[in-house]
Amino acid sequence: MPETPDPDLAAGDADRQPEPTPPPTVALAPVAGALVGGPDDAPFVDPAEQAQTLKFHFTPRAALAGEMERLQNENPHAKATWQVPKVIAALQDRFADAVTDVVGYAGETTVFVEKGAIADVCLFLRDEVGFDYLTDIGTVDRFTEEDRFEVFYNVCALKARKRIRLKVLVDEEDPVVPTVTGVWKGANWHEREAWDMMGIRFSGHPDMRRIYMPEDFEYHPARKEFPTLGIPGSLPLPPNHPDGELQPDPFPRAHGQIPKDLSTDADD
Amino acid sequence: MSVTDQNTPNMNAAAPGSAEDLFTFWPRHNAAIYQALADRHTQVEIEQAAEQAAVEDARAAAGGERQRVVAGDGADVSAVPMIAEDPLESRMILNLGPQHPATHGALRIVCQLDGETIDKCLLDLGYLHRGIEKLAEVKTYQEFMPYTDRMDYMSPYSNNVAWCLAVEKLAGIEAPPRATWLRTIGCELARISSHLLWVGTMVMDAGALSVFLWTFKYREEIYSIFDEVAGARFTVSHSRIGGLAFDYSDTSLSMIASFCDDFEKQIADWKKLLNRNRIWIDRNKDVGVLTADEAIAEGYTGPCIRASGVEHDIRIFEPYLVYDQLDFNIPIRTEGDSLARYFVRIEEMEESVKIIRQCLAKLPKGPVRVDNAKAAYPSKDEVYYSMEGMIHDFMMTDTGVAPPKGAESYHAIESPKGELGFHLVSDGTGSPWRVKATTGSFKNLQGLETMMEGAMVADSVVLIGSVDPVIGDSDK
Repeated sequence: MPETPDPDLAAGDADRQPEPTPPPTVALAPVAGALVGGPDDAPFVDPAEQAQTLKFHFTPRAALAGEMERLQNENPHAKATWQVPKVIAALQDRFADAVTDVVGYAGETTVFVEKGAIADVCLFLRDEVGFDYLTDIGTVDRFTEEDRFEVFYNVCALKARKRIRLKVLVDEEDPVVPTVTGVWKGANWHEREAWDMMGIRFSGHPDMRRIYMPEDFEYHPARKEFPTLGIPGSLPLPPNHPDGELQPDPFPRAHGQIPKDLSTDADD
Repeated sequence: MSVTDQNTPNMNAAAPGSAEDLFTFWPRHNAAIYQALADRHTQVEIEQAAEQAAVEDARAAAGGERQRVVAGDGADVSAVPMIAEDPLESRMILNLGPQHPATHGALRIVCQLDGETIDKCLLDLGYLHRGIEKLAEVKTYQEFMPYTDRMDYMSPYSNNVAWCLAVEKLAGIEAPPRATWLRTIGCELARISSHLLWVGTMVMDAGALSVFLWTFKYREEIYSIFDEVAGARFTVSHSRIGGLAFDYSDTSLSMIASFCDDFEKQIADWKKLLNRNRIWIDRNKDVGVLTADEAIAEGYTGPCIRASGVEHDIRIFEPYLVYDQLDFNIPIRTEGDSLARYFVRIEEMEESVKIIRQCLAKLPKGPVRVDNAKAAYPSKDEVYYSMEGMIHDFMMTDTGVAPPKGAESYHAIESPKGELGFHLVSDGTGSPWRVKATTGSFKNLQGLETMMEGAMVADSVVLIGSVDPVIGDSDK
């Protein structure tokens, strides 16, 4: 019998709850027996909601109190490269309004920056602090009502052997971030990847095309609401023979369809 | 919905008469590529613009007003129009790939040629995109590890280790010392294997076949070692979160030792053949020159950035595994051309042999997996002969490691292609909330676009080879 979800997990910190809109293809078996027919004073739990919480794996008990702090401070893989107290102080001093928060886990440093100031902060880091090398730009879909997306920038100082991570919160209504291609030329493809996979645009980017998916594709697959099995008809593939039609759904069986008989197709 | 409903006309079809209508397949995609190619400035234009900008700046300093216009590729082209005339009709657009033997995988390169020179070049990725970052979100941390074998499929062992180290950092697990030393051996063997393939195919791209046969003989030996170590030749999946699947056998350790002896002599022979080979040097010297500043700005990584004189290697930058306890050198060249990249890689193989020798000498005894049922699989003895062991094995398979909610970390290793890192976000369950992989081939290919511009068509194959792309790695 599946474990009932931890009430703390459901109530507190609701913005990190994985509540993806259920794709129609994923069969959610409601655990009806466990939920209906309980004592009368038990609070009503919607079986559909319950099933979503248990969708892929049961949720283990919430992190022990203090576990997070312990791992923050005593991680066996913590690296000296992430220790940058002076840089944080300089950032807070220079960009007092733009730097909203500094958080850390496993000895790493993440600086939250206001979206509009990201290019200035990056330019400051590159020219005046020596963070000359951009390792990566990535995105996180937090699936929250407000500030749904995060864009993070992993930046290196090659000579000083230091790392820092900048982070920007992006709202779903206005998923546009100023580009940093003017600071690090190598940001170009990383930003294109963020646009392709997560649907975050970068204003001022020189070549804002998709990078993996073709332009004809209309979705952003790394978003949480995108189903793992794909969307039928979203990406036509070439016909099986020269006179055939495009294949609208290359994986019909996965979507509950019976594929068209190839021999009859050839005869058409 | 019936089957025929799905065969309605493609909703992505282009409007008749539009530019997209020229293409029968993925019309918008192809139209966008050709438009981007047309919008790109050639190297000649960028140089002219830089000269012009210098003149304008001087004028502005003298008191005038000046408006800067930054072009698509970051160049200041306010004064220089694009060169549109082509009276001799010497320009053409050439598609290399995606099915092309010299592109090392399904990589498409669209270039505009002016005679035999490449004017502009665009790379089209995605022909091997499997979306493994998305797949990771519906798998447990351990379940995802075999997918990393398929990323940079020239060095599966180090991909496994990169993933396991990233998860161990996120969950705060420390693997036992013997596992760490053995992982180092495996990673260096993977580096040799990857560089062997590179040397072989690179020399073959440049026109000689025999080196390819010799390097593949030794690659085959490494495969035999991996077969003995992990039970699989290619996609090893030998690492586990919290250690290794099982210990290296005595046979495999002696195979590794004898491989090192034999291989060192062999590298010396190859160096004799290639280092002063007239044809090899003519094909590679001063081809695809990359200065240190360019390499840093464009985000090159791995042997490519080290061949340009930048001292950046994750093994030194932030030592992981046992690299801080080993004595080895990081080969660096300052020329930045294709030949320098060859020297860096061939010397790296020699250093890898040195590293493996030291690891074999210092290899400690002990368990190869952490003895904590919340962090790693129990041993098979426990699983077969105790109830708790079986329950723990079941729990590890079902849920596995569950790092605390909200934890977020990044761990990188120096893979043969460059920095390979995983940025992980946990939601407190057994599967990651978000995985973002940073791969060497992606970053190196990005720079290839500008490296190709101004080069000869005949050198394009050498240039593609010299950055050593693996499309499984760049497309993810």
